[in-house]
Amino acid sequence: MPLTPFSRPVLAALASLTLAAPGAAAAQWTTSDDESAWGMDVSLILEGIYYNELSHGNDSPAGFDDGHDHGHGNGDDHGLDDGFNLGHSELGFQARLGDLLDATVIIEFDDQDIEVDEAYLTTRALPGGLQLKAGKFLSDIGYINNRHPHEWDFVNRPLVNEYLFGDHGLLEKGVQATWLAPTATYTQLGVELLQGETSGIANYEGSQSSLNDQDRILRDRSGPRLVTAFAKIGPDLGPDHAAQFGVSGGYARSYQVTDEHSTRFEDWDGSAWFAGLDAVYKYSAGRAYGHGDWRLQGEYFYREIDVDRRDVNFEADGNGPVGFVRNEQSFKNQQDGIYVQGVYGFAPRWEAGLRAEALGLSNDVGRGDGESFGTSYRHTAQVTFRPVEPVFLRAQLSQNDFVDDHGDRDRGLEFLLQLNVALGAHGAHRF
Amino acid sequence: MSYRKTRVRMPRALAALASLVLLGLLLLPSQAAAGLNIVATTSTLGALAREIGGDETEVRVLAPPDRDAHDLDARPSFMAALRRADMLLEIGAGLEEGWLPAAQRGARNRAINSGQPGHFRAADMIELRRSITMDGPNMGHVHEEGNPHFNTDPLRLADIALALAERMGDLRPDHAATFMERAERTAERLRDHAKALAAQVAPDQRIVVYHEDLDYLEEWLPVDIVGYLEPAPGIPPTARHLRSLVSDLEGTEGTVLYAAFQPARGAEFLERNLGWTSHAVPLDPPADSSLDGYLELMTTWAETLPRQ
Repeated sequence: MPLTPFSRPVLAALASLTLAAPGAAAAQWTTSDDESAWGMDVSLILEGIYYNELSHGNDSPAGFDDGHDHGHGNGDDHGLDDGFNLGHSELGFQARLGDLLDATVIIEFDDQDIEVDEAYLTTRALPGGLQLKAGKFLSDIGYINNRHPHEWDFVNRPLVNEYLFGDHGLLEKGVQATWLAPTATYTQLGVELLQGETSGIANYEGSQSSLNDQDRILRDRSGPRLVTAFAKIGPDLGPDHAAQFGVSGGYARSYQVTDEHSTRFEDWDGSAWFAGLDAVYKYSAGRAYGHGDWRLQGEYFYREIDVDRRDVNFEADGNGPVGFVRNEQSFKNQQDGIYVQGVYGFAPRWEAGLRAEALGLSNDVGRGDGESFGTSYRHTAQVTFRPVEPVFLRAQLSQNDFVDDHGDRDRGLEFLLQLNVALGAHGAHRF
Repeated sequence: MSYRKTRVRMPRALAALASLVLLGLLLLPSQAAAGLNIVATTSTLGALAREIGGDETEVRVLAPPDRDAHDLDARPSFMAALRRADMLLEIGAGLEEGWLPAAQRGARNRAINSGQPGHFRAADMIELRRSITMDGPNMGHVHEEGNPHFNTDPLRLADIALALAERMGDLRPDHAATFMERAERTAERLRDHAKALAAQVAPDQRIVVYHEDLDYLEEWLPVDIVGYLEPAPGIPPTARHLRSLVSDLEGTEGTVLYAAFQPARGAEFLERNLGWTSHAVPLDPPADSSLDGYLELMTTWAETLPRQ
């Protein structure tokens, strides 16, 4: 496989680090206790969702049709049927290779599909505060992106994460290198070299067969096609307060879309980049069962897609024969989104939360003559009850206030009831 | 037009720069290895480490002593502290399992990985009491190895102090003899103080506690635990459970003890219905304590009970 020019130096660095690791392992300490060498932890997360669409609004926010997967039901919240649904259930395995590597596999399933959500290795023994991760994993950009649904404060994914990245967020195969600075203030820097398959930022089609000797503009492009970088800072604010601030960005050297119209294929080929900010603050009241605790979090992301467009007829029409080329243009889509949310423990074992979201504060789509769409909003409220620590029951009310392509707004109201149970190994409380 | 060369050049330069920076960081000298930098999960372990390590160590405690050490997040500040640590002291036996593994992984510091000499797990050094969670219904929080709340047992802490000094000596052989001397003195003071306090308390005391976190008082004080405010570990007191406690204990005398961070309602119910006294007590000494802080805490526990 020909390596792409920009990946070579990074791969060389990663390879040298990996080779250095076994040498460092020579000084292995032998333990007397009966810590098992295999030490596999298994956890099972089961989720059920009751969904009720109280009133139907616009299906999707204007300006975000392309590159977004519409493989779901009838435009409602992510393929949820009115009534009972099996949500995002997970089977997780974690095992250690001595103190050198951690291996993590997370299988996600519902009543129809089983898929490998994540499968990766993480180093634990590299010197100098370095860590490598390789496999299929959720990118560490932003805050919520690397979290699984059972770790969220709301039933569904924030709009900005779903529409700028994808239905699973930024989930990719690749390698990641991170470094934790030896400073009193938590400072983490990371880069990721990813295959580039996520629909929102690195959609990939590959070469398409020519039509009547007329080549298409879409070409095969070997991976890795997406590179990301991030920094996270977490000051030490004492026992009651904790915060983390992040900045992240990425560049996809390939962003391809093909869309089938009645007589022609519409092809886009180009690149995309994104940048964002994230912040989280937690207050711990020091009372039992989370009573009086606060969590505030917010993220903003901006995405720019820069593509060439060229349509080719697959059927003769009024414009020309098969292979006829038209609509050749270069354009940019500049779009963004933000969410802010807060959760408060109003009683022992009870939490309530509010989330406000805006998608397309800037929503310029350059296709055709170019258009600036309006901003879509969503407002969500939830109440969560944890009868015992591994179980929660959450009721959520969401109001969609989406604008459509013609600038018309329509509001939809949804009610969700979520039951989530974690069995087996104790899931770690990540910050 | 196909693929634009100018767009590729910038990330290539960035990628090259990033890899150079990463390689450069590898060659950074590790920080000066003068004192032993110890991070302890709880202030009880921190107190032992301070007493044994003296001026040869720097000790940082992660869990605030007035919080439930089960329920913490793997905070960024914890990872920053662990990143620079030469040694991690944990209670073990599942007490910190909800957050410490994530903090340890996030710290990217091999010295404190499980299995390394810099990782000291106190539960491995002693025999644990059985935990109720081992026998009761699985409510999602099972301490398979035993009850991890031995921070309330000075006798076990004395053994842990000796094991800790040995381990610290492995890491800093120059000071091994000093560490062991201080540990022996620490163990002696813990045992003596426990004996003295036990002699002050009236015999055959009956106590009700909130969680199984004061069980180890039975090991060194003349007390007998006759009930728990929680129906099962981790489950808050229910009205029905409290009523059945009252009917079981009606007509007897005793004391209710609970941790300062636990809700007082159940204890107050027993106080009203049984006429027992109740006390909220700290479970760990203040974060910056050395041994004296822990000895004072032992006195606080003993003084909640009627005197001889």
